Amino acid sequence: MTIVTREISLNINGKAVGPIAVPEDLPMVEFLHEYVGLTGSRFGCGQGLCRACTVIVDEPDGTSREMRSCITGAQYFDGRAIRTVEGHASVDADGALKLTPVQEAFLDHFSFQCSYCAPGFVNAATVLVERLQREPIARDQVEAVVEDALNDHICRCTGYVRYYSAVRDVVLNTPGLVK
Amino acid sequence: MKSAIKWILGAAVLAAASVPFWPARSAYDGDAAQARLAGDRDALVKRGKYLATVADCAACHQSPDGAPYAGGVPIVTPFGTIYGTNITPDNEHGIGNYSPADFYHAVADGVRPDGKRLYPAMPYASYHAIRPEDSDAIYAYLMTQQPVARENPALGLSFPFNQRWTLAYWNLVNGKIALPDAAPPEALEGAYLTDVLGHCQECHTPRNALGGLDLGRAYQGGVLGDLTAPDLTPAALTARGWTAEDLRVFLKTGMAPQGTMTLEMYPVLLHSSQYMSDADIAAIQTHLTGGDLAPVAKPAVVAMDAAQRSSGRDAYLSVCAGCHGVNGEGKPHVAPAMTTNTTAMLADPRNLIHVITHGLPEQKLANGEVMQSMPGFDGVLTNQQLADLVNYTRTEWGGQPASVSVADVN
Repeated sequence: MTIVTREISLNINGKAVGPIAVPEDLPMVEFLHEYVGLTGSRFGCGQGLCRACTVIVDEPDGTSREMRSCITGAQYFDGRAIRTVEGHASVDADGALKLTPVQEAFLDHFSFQCSYCAPGFVNAATVLVERLQREPIARDQVEAVVEDALNDHICRCTGYVRYYSAVRDVVLNTPGLVK
Repeated sequence: MKSAIKWILGAAVLAAASVPFWPARSAYDGDAAQARLAGDRDALVKRGKYLATVADCAACHQSPDGAPYAGGVPIVTPFGTIYGTNITPDNEHGIGNYSPADFYHAVADGVRPDGKRLYPAMPYASYHAIRPEDSDAIYAYLMTQQPVARENPALGLSFPFNQRWTLAYWNLVNGKIALPDAAPPEALEGAYLTDVLGHCQECHTPRNALGGLDLGRAYQGGVLGDLTAPDLTPAALTARGWTAEDLRVFLKTGMAPQGTMTLEMYPVLLHSSQYMSDADIAAIQTHLTGGDLAPVAKPAVVAMDAAQRSSGRDAYLSVCAGCHGVNGEGKPHVAPAMTTNTTAMLADPRNLIHVITHGLPEQKLANGEVMQSMPGFDGVLTNQQLADLVNYTRTEWGGQPASVSVADVN
């Protein structure tokens, strides 16, 4: 049996990856785990329901959106730029770890419990913050918009209150997100 | 001679002008109705509840917020938007002041108690042959419902479609469904459940330019905006791989090898078909198929331009295979199989295009079965990729030609 392959090149967390030949039906989450050693995106339900595998797709027009890596083929990402949960924090010149405001807020609110859903929540909250930077909302819409943005993400520890309150804090305390 | 022509013309104009004043109500025996309503009321209400379910009143009359029969469901037609009305027994906004006769004439004739006509989105062309005793039973059931004081939304129709009297002419030229005069009782029951109460022809029979049912082409498939209601004639069902058993299971559970009840059929499952008795479902199936349908081989793969097929298959493996399977085999409780999918087999590609571009919400089917929501791929794939994907699905599993262009998915 021959495995039909597709050659893909993409940008992951700001770094060019590929070209790499992958089986034509390889799911993206397996590509991240097995081909590029990025194991932070979680394989949860494997059917696109829990969203633990969510990655961020950065569009050429500067917008960003979520995509589920367990139900999307690796070849879809050929020529695209994505961010995984490993791509958020940075290390400054002194070697100190610098978290994003979303990550800081999740830690401040003790949002992470078992952490299985963490990559999905970090990515979803980041996509929301980036959207609100382009399209600010009224203060009285914050609760509904945050709920809508995170609604599809399942936390098996049921820690939703801490996730939601952390993201509300980020939205309300970051200049420019709320009109 | 001239004056004779004038007289004839004048009489013709007068006759035409008098159409809105012609009697619009069918015969109805009010005394018999009173006798029925004075009988065993509990049994009558129980039967009325079942009949209202078969007739799927809730599909249009249950409020979007869930209030039973309180109206407000928008129905978009080529002539504008109208709304399912409040049919709770509220005296001001509902049908609280209706007599059994008023109710019968609204359902069967499309005429309100004040003499004004209902729009044919109310399927009175189908309900016309409703048995008066069934109308009374539904009336008795609705009168037991909670009255809801909710105003009916204003009609979204412009002139001349907002003139209800014009419907007198519409009714004059557009036929209503009639039951066969002579038929075995089982066949008559099947026709009654399917054509009259189920009002299936309202979507599945083509319509003429005026929006009336083209009754000479019953069940040959209708168009609903950017959707199509598939051809349900036995030959067409056979060609798409349906068997009698598949059809019964589909109506009862919302799922068969051919796919799940989606789009406009979803409310049919939600409020109606899953609650029908097995005998009634069998009668509907027999009416549509005339017996069992011969099993047919799956359609052969249809040839398609190699580069476009490769693009379509890559799109399929990129965004579809995760749920529908690499080879279209589907995943239980997630997504139906594509290999036997009736939508892929329709000559008219619009349902396939609609679902692929717009996606589907999560579907709660009968017996606790749930199929996952499907994302729309408009913007996720390019229009060329969407067209290639639609054509790949049609040629690989549908036995249909790769006839969809980029303009079709735009």
